Amino acid sequence: MTVQATDEDIRERASIDRSMRFPVLFFFTSAAAWLFVATILGFFSALKLRVPGLWEECQFLGYGRVFPMHMIALVYGWALQAGIGVMLWLMARLTRRELKYGMGVVVIGHVWNALVAVAVICIWSGFGRSIPLLDFPGWMAPLFAMVYMAMVVWVIPMFKTRREASIYISEYYLVGAALWFPWVFITAGILISKEAAPTMAAGAGSWFVSNLIYFWMAPIALAVAYYIVPKIADRPIYSYGWAKMGFWILALFAGWTGFQRYYGGPYPAWIPAVSGAAVVFVLLAVVATISNLAMTLRGKTKLWEISPSLRFTAMGMFFFAVYACLSAVSIIPMVQPALQFSFFLSGLDVLAIYGFFSMTVFGAMYFIVPRITGCEWPSAASIRNHFWYSTYGIITLIVCLLIAGLAQGGNLSRPNIPFSTSFMNSTCWVVGACIAWLLIAVSNLWFFYQLALMFVGKGRKSEGPTLIHGGHDNAEGAAGTA
Amino acid sequence: MSTGDDRNLDYESGTASVVDMHDSVRREKILQPSGAESLGLFPLVLCGLVLIAGGGFLFKNANGFSDSTYINSDYRPDPKPVTDDGDGEAEEVAWIDSWMKEGKKVYGNCAACHQPTGTGAPGMFPPLTGSEWVDGGTARLGAILVHGINGPMTVAGQSYNQLMPAWGTLSDKKIAQVITYVRREFGSLPEGDDGVVTTEMVAAARDMFKSQSGPFTEAQLKAIPEDKQLPGAKVDLQTGDPL
Repeated sequence: MTVQATDEDIRERASIDRSMRFPVLFFFTSAAAWLFVATILGFFSALKLRVPGLWEECQFLGYGRVFPMHMIALVYGWALQAGIGVMLWLMARLTRRELKYGMGVVVIGHVWNALVAVAVICIWSGFGRSIPLLDFPGWMAPLFAMVYMAMVVWVIPMFKTRREASIYISEYYLVGAALWFPWVFITAGILISKEAAPTMAAGAGSWFVSNLIYFWMAPIALAVAYYIVPKIADRPIYSYGWAKMGFWILALFAGWTGFQRYYGGPYPAWIPAVSGAAVVFVLLAVVATISNLAMTLRGKTKLWEISPSLRFTAMGMFFFAVYACLSAVSIIPMVQPALQFSFFLSGLDVLAIYGFFSMTVFGAMYFIVPRITGCEWPSAASIRNHFWYSTYGIITLIVCLLIAGLAQGGNLSRPNIPFSTSFMNSTCWVVGACIAWLLIAVSNLWFFYQLALMFVGKGRKSEGPTLIHGGHDNAEGAAGTA
Repeated sequence: MSTGDDRNLDYESGTASVVDMHDSVRREKILQPSGAESLGLFPLVLCGLVLIAGGGFLFKNANGFSDSTYINSDYRPDPKPVTDDGDGEAEEVAWIDSWMKEGKKVYGNCAACHQPTGTGAPGMFPPLTGSEWVDGGTARLGAILVHGINGPMTVAGQSYNQLMPAWGTLSDKKIAQVITYVRREFGSLPEGDDGVVTTEMVAAARDMFKSQSGPFTEAQLKAIPEDKQLPGAKVDLQTGDPL
């Protein structure tokens, strides 16, 4: 059943896309640039783990600085900007509203980029704090919060004046993501201030990381998936009820997660227990989402072979399920003591940020960019390379970090083994992580190059989308798959 | 279809006819109203399992939501001591340390009466600290452990009247370990006595008192010379090898 778009619809789409052109492209290109910086830094930090003596005269190249720089560039430079670009475009399309005063968003986007740059430079020159994903100096936190709110505030009027009364499921997720992040960020910022008890700061740091993933990255990625999959499959979402249930499950339980990482730590035992249970309950949202999307796509799985958007999104959703399941496995009392405070947990973070969130957002970008630039992706081969290098990179990274984590965590629990030995015993797996980051960096090089071509209007100008297989003039492509 | 740059311009103008608009805009499908199908049984069952797992985890680990319980009773970082992991970097544990550690475990049997600190309970159970029976030779201690004591007895100037059961059912090694532990931990040993009793010495004690039936009385114990030691080779405290 194909519902043809009317001329009216098409005009409307074109004018919305036109209003989005500069803001969204700005966020996407600057995000991609930060992603490239982040992957290079990720490679160097993995290298420093393996060869700690490398350039030891240069303090500013030490692991203690390169790793936080890498994470800040990855999260605040890449993830947040890419997410906001996707959020603006999706919200405009779903509410059928053009973005008013779009240049205002671009100006604020520049301020955000400047802030991220200052944060990275501060860490580089030794003014960072050792709190995961909040490593920048404390005085920057309120600035980040304010500029973030100035960026997302644009989606609220679009949502309030939406054309249709019924709310599409992606709109739930987008509004959720827009509003939850300031709450998570500001709460964590307050709890981590200098006056707070150190145990509270540690717990709040872990709570922040967990909620950045479940309350910001997950909603945006799920909004993308609920948009891309029905669009490409040309089908309605299978079950609106289950989709909404997934949203409310996430809203209800995600905020409780985080403290499970300090199971056995200096907190009343019920706090990590509640967090652990919340991690398990979030699996309900995974079941609801994945089965719903799978049913929406049923019988049309060969679209996977031709549509880049669908392929990246589907792989992102796969990593979402893997991430949620591994998080739940890691709280089982039998394995938890062996995994705590090891590479395993940083592996999980990367799985969420790169494997789950970024892959899904790449899917959205492959869909959005041709529409806002008016030209097609230059090369199907580059998209293929981007996909496979990213996928193999992320799988290598996860497997290596998980095994390194098991080796390290197991040794950490044995009192007779010195700490440094437990660390060094696991670094052979860090070699794998180095290679993985290199693969990811290469894959992003392809992506960045293509995006730059699209940005300057040098994409393909032909009819028909760029498909992964089957050539540009594929009949299926002409039927509307991109 | 090959077209020039003008395609892009059409797209930007906004007034172009739909046919001239860029292909990506035209080819896009319309987003259909969301369905309301049933997902069937499988996801429901899966959700049920998740609920059971999460709820089970919560109520097993939450400790009744008590604010004063910090560590769950089942939280056990791997307790096995590892003496050598093969890389030669781990430190060797001295033989006497592990011997004492095992002895302390066996002493769990004794602590109910003699107390974990070896002080006993005045009037009820005799102490091990400051006791002449502990500080003296090992033969009397061996006899007590293997066969037990019954009846009135004077320890550290106080008299007691109790039955101490025989522990001969324990292995020689465990008896040796617990005597070593008691002597080194609670006794005040004479110069030159390291307090160590070996498995071999306990075997000798069994042999020495094999004619005894039932628990010893104080008079029978007094018949054993106070400074009599159980026969057996002394051992090196680091390695446990006989000297």
